Amino acid sequence: MSSEPVAPAIGAPHSPKRRRLLLIAAAVVGAAALGGGIALYQRGETAPPRDGSAILALVLPDVDGRQQPLSQWRGKVLVVNFWATWCAPCREEMPHFIAAQARDGPKGLQFVGIAVVQVDKVREFAQEIRLNYPALIGGLGAIELSKALGNDLAALPFTIILDRSGSVVHTQLGPLKPAQLDALLDRLLASP
Amino acid sequence: MVERALATLAAFAALAFGTAIAAGLPGLAPKLLPPEQAFRFSARVLDPATIEARFDVADGYYLYRDKLHFTAEPVQVRSVDLPRGQRKHDEFFGDVETYRGAVTVRLPLASPASGKNVVVRAESQGCADAGVCYPPNPQELTLAVPANGAKPGPFVEAAPKGPFR
Repeated sequence: MSSEPVAPAIGAPHSPKRRRLLLIAAAVVGAAALGGGIALYQRGETAPPRDGSAILALVLPDVDGRQQPLSQWRGKVLVVNFWATWCAPCREEMPHFIAAQARDGPKGLQFVGIAVVQVDKVREFAQEIRLNYPALIGGLGAIELSKALGNDLAALPFTIILDRSGSVVHTQLGPLKPAQLDALLDRLLASP
Repeated sequence: MVERALATLAAFAALAFGTAIAAGLPGLAPKLLPPEQAFRFSARVLDPATIEARFDVADGYYLYRDKLHFTAEPVQVRSVDLPRGQRKHDEFFGDVETYRGAVTVRLPLASPASGKNVVVRAESQGCADAGVCYPPNPQELTLAVPANGAKPGPFVEAAPKGPFR
């Protein structure tokens, strides 16, 4: 680090003492930002591939065995959530997804769950929580699929959010915070 | 120059502080481990007819007891008596049991495997307290059972996954 002040300060020139304080403050802020950045990265908010066409090209069966191409939701704000019944954190965030789908579905929001388990487990659970968005069956192969989409650790939940133009705007390993998700969805739904 | 030294010192201190924040701030998870590091599988020969399997579960991670399975080849595992785990309430599955830290499981074989190489396979499934779960994870290792002698052998770790296996 140079001995010049890092951040332009209000009211130059500074006393040496003030300069020193500024340096320390700048270093703390810089490192905290770095730490925060590392933490965010480690949390799993990996740099997403900008193009969501690989996701929109997916075709997976629903609980009734009908093949569902994800391209049918092109033009919507699309939240693709990889989950499993054996994943407690996945199940815990789904009621919020259901509420968001009910509230913002008419505005062009579409959730799609891709389950990493067998169809009977999915059907039972979907009924129990009154799932109001499609639960597609990926089986264990969906884990490999999510890896190809940036889920390096192959862990769940893993969520990819696409804007109306089909670009990936967010990927998340681990649960989405409800407030954070709502703010992002509001922003995405507001733009044409 | 004192000022420069101080600035360097401050930068290092702040870096350490920043890293501490990264590791410990509520809501921000520490670096997540790949499953084979979060749930390290090893085993040893206790005697020609008994294998001891072991999982070392990293801090902040847990395994589900009812998702833990062992098999062996060419000699079968006769029965598996899993130790009790910690009770955990699960809204969907009811009360489930989990393992943290080290867990050892005796695997009695259907017949003595003296002089044989025994492949021990484990399938485990667990989660991190940070809020992610890993899919069922198959791991395997090979134990050389001595032709004679009944002393416990050394622990053998499962080979890490990847292209350099």
